[in-house]
Amino acid sequence: MADVRRDARLVQLEIVSAAMGARRRKRLRSLVTNVAVYGSLLVFAFITLFPFFWMLITSFKLPGDVFRLPPNLRPSLLWTETPFANYTQVLFQFDFLRYAGNSLFVATTAATGQLVTCSLAGFAFARMRFPLKNVLFGLLIFTLLVPIEVTIIPEFLLMVRLGWLDTYLPLIVPSLMVGAFGTFLLTEYFKTVPASLEEAATIDGASPFAIYRHIFLPLATPALASLFVIAFITNWNELLRPVLYISDRNLRTLPLGLTTLQGQYESSWTLLMAGSVISILPMILVYLAAQKYIIRGFMSSGIK
Amino acid sequence: MRYAKFTPFLFILPMLVGLLVFRLIPIGFSFGISFTSWNIFSPPRWIGFDNYRTLLQSPAFWEVARNTVVFALVFVPVVMGLGLSLALLVNQKLRGSTFFRGVFFMPYITSIVAVALAWKWILATRFGLLNNALMDWFGVQHPPSWLGDPRYALFAVAFVLAWQSAGFQMLLFLAGLQNIDESLKEAAMIDGASRGQVFRFITLPLLSPITFFVLIISLIASSQTFEVTYALTGGGPQRASTTLAFYIYQNAFVHFQMGFASSLAYTLLLFVGGLTLVNFVLRRRWVHYG
Repeated sequence: MADVRRDARLVQLEIVSAAMGARRRKRLRSLVTNVAVYGSLLVFAFITLFPFFWMLITSFKLPGDVFRLPPNLRPSLLWTETPFANYTQVLFQFDFLRYAGNSLFVATTAATGQLVTCSLAGFAFARMRFPLKNVLFGLLIFTLLVPIEVTIIPEFLLMVRLGWLDTYLPLIVPSLMVGAFGTFLLTEYFKTVPASLEEAATIDGASPFAIYRHIFLPLATPALASLFVIAFITNWNELLRPVLYISDRNLRTLPLGLTTLQGQYESSWTLLMAGSVISILPMILVYLAAQKYIIRGFMSSGIK
Repeated sequence: MRYAKFTPFLFILPMLVGLLVFRLIPIGFSFGISFTSWNIFSPPRWIGFDNYRTLLQSPAFWEVARNTVVFALVFVPVVMGLGLSLALLVNQKLRGSTFFRGVFFMPYITSIVAVALAWKWILATRFGLLNNALMDWFGVQHPPSWLGDPRYALFAVAFVLAWQSAGFQMLLFLAGLQNIDESLKEAAMIDGASRGQVFRFITLPLLSPITFFVLIISLIASSQTFEVTYALTGGGPQRASTTLAFYIYQNAFVHFQMGFASSLAYTLLLFVGGLTLVNFVLRRRWVHYG
């Protein structure tokens, strides 16, 4: 009898210790996974951030120091009397201040225009019934898949015919008028608005434009914010159209100015990196300020 | 809701005009141009299929076509692999994962010209950081000229573009991962499935519609590489890193051969369209719609 009881207790002990062991193993395993995950995250973050870091360091070096071997991380210009010499040279002597102004103007106008055209079209696609609606919407999405190379040659010929070369117009108008992505984004957003709001307003005698303007637009503020920053960033970074349409140096945007500078001063890395920082920094600030809207906007482009 | 008949058209008018003038008409128009010889200084001349015949017989075209395929074969798997890995990593509910997500997405919103310049400087043959690291830390005697050697230039361009855009693929995958019902994974775990099995038999199949979408997006992105090539190699050395999109730009806007460039553009469209179609046909084999 006593033996049996002792055996039972032993078995019980074994079970308890086995369970404890399992828990300990589990905790150990999750510790190991966490370390592995954080390790990988850090490695990827390093690969992602290092080029930006190196750009920044180089932009604060004396021009001769970039050709000193082995390369070092010392921003040697900071110890001189003119720590921002590369920046002042690029901004004023090479006119990057003006290019930044041009980029700001083009990106703001195009993005604001996209908000108007895309929200108007999105409202109609989401809330109204009209002939050919699905065909038009399908065509719009289809054009997202057509490479820009297919349409850019006729577009160029049109701009020549219109006499728009060396104006801001070809940088703004095409982007402003075919916001396929934006129309898609806002259509999806407007579809989620309950119909009762619309009906109540109609009964009160509101015009369709008033419904759009005073009910739908305010409700869509987060989606509009996403679209604005995304369109702004895309237009700020655009290279192909400035390359094709702008030869007047006073109208250059930052990416065009940067490639021109590269053509003229191929190995002036301190200047080129200062120019790169100037064209990236505003976008990084926008990104940090509006990260939520940007991430949300891009993420929703993947969900049907 | 009922609206007056013409109202919807007033709302879509600006977009409709844009769609016609900048998309649909140009798509048709460039098809027409592709049957002409046209250097924009003299009027176009109808030459039938000559442009297509010329391009099929030109070794330069086949070199560029091969580059385009190789580029896609390198870029698409790399960017998708990176995107999925990053998404899986930031999807672990660990402290700081939002921060890392923000970091990984950052290159995508920065000017490709600027980051291409930074990479050009890192990859520079003699004074570049990478080659000096290879020599000093790994004892490599004669590190290659990444952008100047025809064997490596195309791969370097593909890598830089993948580095810049992986954050976007990550976001798309992340949206897909967050849509997966956690209880399915838990149920499988209770039934004794290992983490690897859960990933292989639950996560991957449920993610496959997004994977398909990302595949199409990445293929299209890889067929449109202009900016990164322009800033990094200019298509060189010789034609080693020239892909079809860049070749179109050169023919149209450097040599002003609008007709020939348009025939190239239509070849590109055919290539992208064909690949997309093949993918849609193959989709049934591996994409699961739950």
